[in-house]
Amino acid sequence: MFTTQRLIVIALCAALNFSIGSIVYLVKLPLYFDSVGTILCALLLAADRRAAFVCCLVCAVTSTLMTGLLVNPFLPWFVATDLTICLVSAFLTTHAAETFRARPPRPAAFAGSVLLYGIITGVCAAIVSAPVVVYLFGGVTGSGSAFVVAFFLKTGQQLMSAALLSGLTADPIDKTLQVLIAALLFRATPTDFVTMVRAPART
Amino acid sequence: MTPNGAVLFAAVAILGAMVSGGRGLAAGYAVAALFALTQIAPRTGACLRRAAIVMAPLAAFMLIIWVGVVGKSPQEIASNAEGTRSAALFYVATVAARLFLIVFVLQAVLLRFDHDTPFAFVRALRVPAGAKRMMILTLSLIETLRNAVDRAYTALVAAGIVTRGLSLKNLRTGWILVQTVWLTAITTVTARMRDKWPVEDTLALLDPALDGGERRLSPPDWLWLGLAVAALALGQYLVWAHG
Repeated sequence: MFTTQRLIVIALCAALNFSIGSIVYLVKLPLYFDSVGTILCALLLAADRRAAFVCCLVCAVTSTLMTGLLVNPFLPWFVATDLTICLVSAFLTTHAAETFRARPPRPAAFAGSVLLYGIITGVCAAIVSAPVVVYLFGGVTGSGSAFVVAFFLKTGQQLMSAALLSGLTADPIDKTLQVLIAALLFRATPTDFVTMVRAPART
Repeated sequence: MTPNGAVLFAAVAILGAMVSGGRGLAAGYAVAALFALTQIAPRTGACLRRAAIVMAPLAAFMLIIWVGVVGKSPQEIASNAEGTRSAALFYVATVAARLFLIVFVLQAVLLRFDHDTPFAFVRALRVPAGAKRMMILTLSLIETLRNAVDRAYTALVAAGIVTRGLSLKNLRTGWILVQTVWLTAITTVTARMRDKWPVEDTLALLDPALDGGERRLSPPDWLWLGLAVAALALGQYLVWAHG
């Protein structure tokens, strides 16, 4: 399963997660953008969904540990969210891999797939993240989504509900944008690179 | 102290911070302070400063939201009580203290080994060879991506496609920069995989270079691990006894 090419893709996508996620964390956008590489890794290996899941999970865990050590020490607590994103990306989002690379492009199908899989990923991630946000951070993380939590608390919601509603408000938007970027990068990736990555291990 | 001992110490200390609250954190702070003073003595100030830099924005966020906007603690929200800003402040202080301890311990461990290269640190870890190789490759490719960003940015600024400062034009053309960075990175990686690494036999040399450096836990490791476990137990006792 772990051919040299796949190992390199995992590391490259982990580096992409690290780079984009760090920038977004440091500028305090109300988004996370730390899973673009994970989703892209699943898309690059879409032909074999089991391999896609394992590889994007390794990618997500590696980038989460690296970012946790070097930039954002709270990120490793969201490892269950990583697992959820990997499951959705490898077993659902990969169904749209052909649509994302279709030539000539099919804008309606492309946009529909991005929206559908982005929202599913976001809803799943929000549900898994909410208990961590409440227990570890008391509902307020370092990202700009804290203001959304504040809004829901102000409207009389309990902390868990506020964190969950905040997640359900921010995560689908965040994950849809992440799926969009991953899909566009996947589309821009040269075919020979994708073929090289998807080549099975030589026995 | 070995890197393996440091990782285990940090894991137990962070677990202690997670499961303790209020007074329970005091034991964790005592062990973390002792660790910093004995292991990174002259750089304890730097460690505190780094932890403060990480925590300050988060604490400010919490203050704005809990004390400024919401004005009551989660317990008061749960019981539908009137609520006070002082209770909200106490809540923020407790959460911030826990998070600060986590960041401080991580920073202290990082500073303890900052004289080592990332390669030497990873080499000494007792983890599967595949995990070590993945960490080293990722660190290497982070640098590749940084170089790709520099190259793509310079080229696109020179071509007049993106501007140096903030501009509306960058909103329209920013995607080209992202795409160029990705393609630059792909090109670099493909060239390495097809030409450079096979010629230099890089990947084959990586495994032996990473193997054999694993270090067993030393007596100081066991001492620090014992202290971290004791702090965890004491923290739990304090929480149980005093709330």
